[in-house]
Amino acid sequence: MAIEVRGLSKVFQTGRRSARRRIEAVRDLDLVVADGERVAYIGPNGAGKSTSIKILTGILHPTSGEATVLGLTPWEDRKRLAGRIGTLFGQRSLLWLELTPRQSYRMLAAIYGLDRAEEPRRIAELGDLLDAADLFDQPVRSLSLGQRMRCELTACLLHDPEILFLDEPTIGLDLVAKQRFRELLVRLNEQQGTTIFLTSHDVADIEHVAKRAVVINHGEVIYDDEVAAMRRALLATKVVEVGLIAPIAPPTQRGVTVLEHTDQILRLVVDTHATPVRVVLDELLDGPAVADVSVVDPPLEQVIAEIYERPAR
Amino acid sequence: MTRRAFVEAGRGASRRVVAEPGGLVVSLAFYLVIVAVLSGLWRVAVAANGGDLAGYSAVALTWYIITSEAATVSVHARLIADVGDDISSGAIAVELLRPASVIGVRVATELGRTLPKLAALWVAGGVLAALVAGAPPRPVALLLAAPSLVLAVIANLIAQHAVAAAAFWLRDAGSAWFLYLKAVFITGGMIIPLELLPNGLERASLFLPFRAMAYAPARLASGFVEPQLLLEQLGWIAVLSVGAVAVFGAGERRLQVVGG
Repeated sequence: MAIEVRGLSKVFQTGRRSARRRIEAVRDLDLVVADGERVAYIGPNGAGKSTSIKILTGILHPTSGEATVLGLTPWEDRKRLAGRIGTLFGQRSLLWLELTPRQSYRMLAAIYGLDRAEEPRRIAELGDLLDAADLFDQPVRSLSLGQRMRCELTACLLHDPEILFLDEPTIGLDLVAKQRFRELLVRLNEQQGTTIFLTSHDVADIEHVAKRAVVINHGEVIYDDEVAAMRRALLATKVVEVGLIAPIAPPTQRGVTVLEHTDQILRLVVDTHATPVRVVLDELLDGPAVADVSVVDPPLEQVIAEIYERPAR
Repeated sequence: MTRRAFVEAGRGASRRVVAEPGGLVVSLAFYLVIVAVLSGLWRVAVAANGGDLAGYSAVALTWYIITSEAATVSVHARLIADVGDDISSGAIAVELLRPASVIGVRVATELGRTLPKLAALWVAGGVLAALVAGAPPRPVALLLAAPSLVLAVIANLIAQHAVAAAAFWLRDAGSAWFLYLKAVFITGGMIIPLELLPNGLERASLFLPFRAMAYAPARLASGFVEPQLLLEQLGWIAVLSVGAVAVFGAGERRLQVVGG
């Protein structure tokens, strides 16, 4: 297993001694991630994501519980683990701004103890994989954010990590750079088998990179399933979009909410627990006003927002 | 692995200084103004005292000042505050995720950044001293002053990191930075040879590490062949290293337990 966590908790004490306050950042967390998985670890701000990632990478000690990453206890074997994992935190650069990426890689290669003969080959290999070789000899400060992130990813892959911890890796990137970065992560996972453990507030990161989503809130796991299953299994609502050729009155069944209604378009949200979609469609199609109909799942953002509202499992 | 990491960290930092020499030029200009003023004042003081001050001639004091100032001006002036900021902002967490000593890589990086500046300042200072005061009193002593300067910088960098580690507990190392600089100014012999301090202060400076950071190389450059000063510096570096590693280690453990 890449990651195994059992009953992990972290309590922070804040304030002065006389008025000390306990904050449970992580509460009794259980989690298992298999080798080669692509996991999105998500939750609202303050849910405990960053704290648990800091524990899993060895930066923080937990208050209680057990965790192993690649068979090592992170907070006891931080340096050994550091040689086997890669970390990319969106706002913290792994590169030295005044140097070129290649010069930074030389320093990182020395820190990670890469074989001197192996170092140029590995840099060239990653340059090809991430389509970034032409950037390696430019000063880091002259690179665009998207280019820099490709060089950052190269830096964190230099020592061939078995797991990649990514915390908001696409923050600040434009749409094209984000898409490219996501493709790189998937390619990396598929070609090299690197386990991806990703946190992001960008729903597209979750949709396009992760196969599994673990949702955490108030320090606890509140959802853990395949990303594709999130919409299907969890939402009892469907969005019905109707193109009209003549005005009609919207359906009035229980659980039907009108989102938009003009002479040309009718958009409804249907709570399928209250009224099956078929019943709504039967009523709509029972007249000459409908030109076309589509039934779609609600956007993933809405699904995730609903999960955030749920109590712990 | 560790030694290679330190060498590469230092080499990379040196490259940065050479690639962007603007900072070096500013330091050099500042240094030349300071040493021109201070050495001028000391030459006047020596002349007023019959040509000798506690065993130092005007020439010796000029070489003293260009060396003590090179040792201190070459070190990044706000190092304590910057390291403290990295600790209190949590930026240091990225470095904890590398399989190398955080303080080791940081000191090596700073040493790499400092050495090109140190060489440039001392050479420029030597030219100035030769022009305004005369040749070094005992050129052979300069052979001891050169390694002593490097040891002075190493001692200074290690001590500054140890002080900056206070930010693991206090969040703000800025005030410590101010006190530290004043200690190097006075008990380090940066602007006044320790022999000219009041007796009590001179005796106290014997037991403080700051004399290893400016006084030792300056005393050698001013013509006193006292190789024991190099041994003293090595001793202080050993003590400071143990202290800095212990404080930084305790700080890292605190960060791990309490959070950043």
